[in-house]
Amino acid sequence: MSARLRKRNNAVLQSLAQIGACALFLLTLLAAIPRSFRYFRETSRQLWFVGAMSLTIIMVCGLFVGMVLMLQLYHVLSIFGGTSASGMVVALSVYRELGPVVTALLFAGRAGTAITAEIGLMRATDQISAMEMMAVDPIAYVATPRFLAGLIAMPLLCCVFCAMAIFGGHLVGVTWLGIDNGTFWANMTAVVDVRTDIVNGVLLKSLAFGAVVSLIAVFQGFTTPATSEGVAYATTRTVVASSIAILALDFVLTAFLM
Amino acid sequence: MTDPVHAAPDDSTLVRIRGLTTVLGGKTIFDALDMDIARGKITSIMGPSGTGKTTLLKHITGQMRADAGTIVVDGKNVAALSRDQLYKLREGIGYLFQNSALLTDFDVFENVAFPLRQHTKLPEVLIRNLVLMKLQAVGLRGAARLLPNELSGGMMRRVALARAIVFDPKLILYDEPFVGLDPVALNQVLKLILTLNQTLGITSVVVSHELAAVQRIADRVMLLSNGKVVAQGDPKSIADDGSPWTRQFFGGEADGPIPFRYPAGDYATELGLAGVGK
Repeated sequence: MSARLRKRNNAVLQSLAQIGACALFLLTLLAAIPRSFRYFRETSRQLWFVGAMSLTIIMVCGLFVGMVLMLQLYHVLSIFGGTSASGMVVALSVYRELGPVVTALLFAGRAGTAITAEIGLMRATDQISAMEMMAVDPIAYVATPRFLAGLIAMPLLCCVFCAMAIFGGHLVGVTWLGIDNGTFWANMTAVVDVRTDIVNGVLLKSLAFGAVVSLIAVFQGFTTPATSEGVAYATTRTVVASSIAILALDFVLTAFLM
Repeated sequence: MTDPVHAAPDDSTLVRIRGLTTVLGGKTIFDALDMDIARGKITSIMGPSGTGKTTLLKHITGQMRADAGTIVVDGKNVAALSRDQLYKLREGIGYLFQNSALLTDFDVFENVAFPLRQHTKLPEVLIRNLVLMKLQAVGLRGAARLLPNELSGGMMRRVALARAIVFDPKLILYDEPFVGLDPVALNQVLKLILTLNQTLGITSVVVSHELAAVQRIADRVMLLSNGKVVAQGDPKSIADDGSPWTRQFFGGEADGPIPFRYPAGDYATELGLAGVGK
């Protein structure tokens, strides 16, 4: 019994140590930002990789999320004869919750895993040590550009996601189910508030999610055992830890911002 | 013994190691190791696998910190350097990794150009010429636009060598440069190491356990075992110094002072046979 308890305590302690190490890693990353400015090209290359290359999945998913949301809402709201409000509800739920959260989850799966695996393999093949030996700081050259790229890309991707979701909602609601086009837009513009919905909802949340996901991805890549098994586990951990962090942080942010 | 920290920088010793002690995971890797690496010579560090030859190179370049002792490279105490000073020192050291460690994102040309682009603001045409000169020296100018995964092991090592010498370093550390090479590639690498040493006067440290290869290039050989230098001297005569250690290592005998078995408890007890048959 006591052995089991000790085992569980060890697991808890290890998780806490992991979180602490991650926080220290964040400080190292932030401290390296001035030094990484000279690697601007690397940052823009990473931005292209995590941002532009994620566009397809973000756009397709945004479209379908908007479409299915409208379909569901239309059927529920038609019971009360309130279908004219469905465009507005789609917009609010997408801006406040679905947009940032789903974008971040997709981002963790698409870009986060790639970052972890890439850095892990770079370590396994001594590329990180080689940079150290060539007097190039791997934190400033590898870690910080990827972190900054995630930070910049996430809000932009989230905006694209939201736009596509609204478009999908419009497609189903107006084109297919016959909601009046003017009502759709007028209700939406009347209710959506720039500060609480767009700035706090879309931009602030996705900025926070971008920071958390890229931090976890880069941290896992840099701390995993440099073996093929270690890289495989680290990639999984990136997705698991990112998903939990996104949803928990979403609740905290919503509680404070709304 | 002179004070290692304040030794004159222009003396004949480029790397001076005193009292180096390292314990990793409860195992003593180095036990008060003393070593001098002569300037302008090819020094080979030999020893069985697991004696910490690569770890020693990592200590010399400051990638790993020792538990005790000093390492002075070109008059600078490595452990006392700040990050920027350490990076400055490393710009003067070439390091050839065992697995070449080429950056897989870049082609051969960009791999060799990488240190130049990071540390200089040279115009593109000059970078191009410098890189092509280094690639010509290793015989791979024609492969400039290939990616690392399109190269053979021997070619990768030569590209890594071109990258290591692109800054004309004072010191090159070769970590197992002969492992996994066919005889032709092996001879090419041997010839390159020798040429670099003779024409540019680069101090070379070759970590290896292949005596035949080492004998053809090294000026001096040091044998590492159990965290100490157990023998050193001329590569031709070192194999015949008569100690049981060198006899076993160079004769390739399976058991001897270098144990065949990893330390373990009593065999019969572990099999659950203790007391059986008594």
